[in-house]
Amino acid sequence: MGSQRRDFAEFYRESCDDCLRAVLVSVGNRDTAQDLVDEAFARAFASWRTVSRHPAPVAWVVRTALNANISRWRRRRREVPVPDPGLMADPAAADAAAGRSVDPRIMAALLRLPARQRQVVALRLFLDLDTARTAEVLGIAPSTVKAHLARALAALRDTIPTPRQEMPSCTTTT
Amino acid sequence: MHDDDLITLVRESFTGLRTTTPVEKILRRGHAVRARRRIPVLTGALAVVAGAALAVTTLLPGGHQPSPQPSTLPTAQLAAWTVTRQADGTIRVNIRELQNPAGLQSRLRADGVPASVTLTGQENPACRPYPASAALQKRVLSITSEIIPLTHQGPPPSTSPPEPNLVLVFHINPAALPRGAGVQLATSFTPVRPGLATSAIRHGLVYASPQCTGS
Repeated sequence: MGSQRRDFAEFYRESCDDCLRAVLVSVGNRDTAQDLVDEAFARAFASWRTVSRHPAPVAWVVRTALNANISRWRRRRREVPVPDPGLMADPAAADAAAGRSVDPRIMAALLRLPARQRQVVALRLFLDLDTARTAEVLGIAPSTVKAHLARALAALRDTIPTPRQEMPSCTTTT
Repeated sequence: MHDDDLITLVRESFTGLRTTTPVEKILRRGHAVRARRRIPVLTGALAVVAGAALAVTTLLPGGHQPSPQPSTLPTAQLAAWTVTRQADGTIRVNIRELQNPAGLQSRLRADGVPASVTLTGQENPACRPYPASAALQKRVLSITSEIIPLTHQGPPPSTSPPEPNLVLVFHINPAALPRGAGVQLATSFTPVRPGLATSAIRHGLVYASPQCTGS
């Protein structure tokens, strides 16, 4: 039990931030994401013998967090209107959604993406999963993953200002 | 902007986002998840066995739930079982693991309850079922399961809280026991590993006799 606890603690420290980022991009709210990730890691610890043998334990955690979010939404849908993250895609709302720890313009651009594209971005960019594993986690075809990622990157490229665009124009005097 | 530059930009924009939950809190929550999982396992096992031993057993109440406030429960010792006389005169038997069933039988007899205590499958053939209605059996004997925090012997655990433990609890009411009757407890309740316990339980009323209950 002691070694299991140590193994899990090491896994948690190494991956908790990436999992939080991936889930935040998917659900669009910092507090919700934190709670979902906590619950998913707790479940991972409760089943650590199994999860530790999973080919990608981080993917298991994120999948569990997203499933928990769906369950939560189903429980609450008749009681509490849940805002679509895509509707909060202005920088001010995105800033609040991310807990003011992420560039609000980039967060807003991500939140404008359709849900499936956000999930693909989350798994490919933040968990560094390959196409096949991402497809497995989301239950879609690898070619669909590629298509979603390409569309997401194209959309982000159009909405995220490049560093060069942000730079003030240089003036030189001779 | 190339894809690689864009991906790097997005990734770097999130580097300031860090989880705020310490690992100890996750471990505690994980223990709670395990504890939640134990109850259906036990209750399911009880229902199956009760169905098989219908003639002499009573089923758990349909809405049986663990106590919602385990922290208020008495802390169990690491003993395999404990017998406690309650203020209302009933006797509470906590079984964590049925070791030394003869010792438990003697202890119950000393508390005024003629009993036959064995492992499941090793019931005393000299015991004959006492004809009793389900309501009477329920008044005399009932079973629950509870999660009780264990006290650890030796040095306290470094960072983790005491791991909750599932115990089987028999409630016996000697005052409701008909003259000439005793109780039969047969169980193989055994924790297999954290989160899983096996149980095969048979309980009911039997005729008290020197061959069966020893009294």
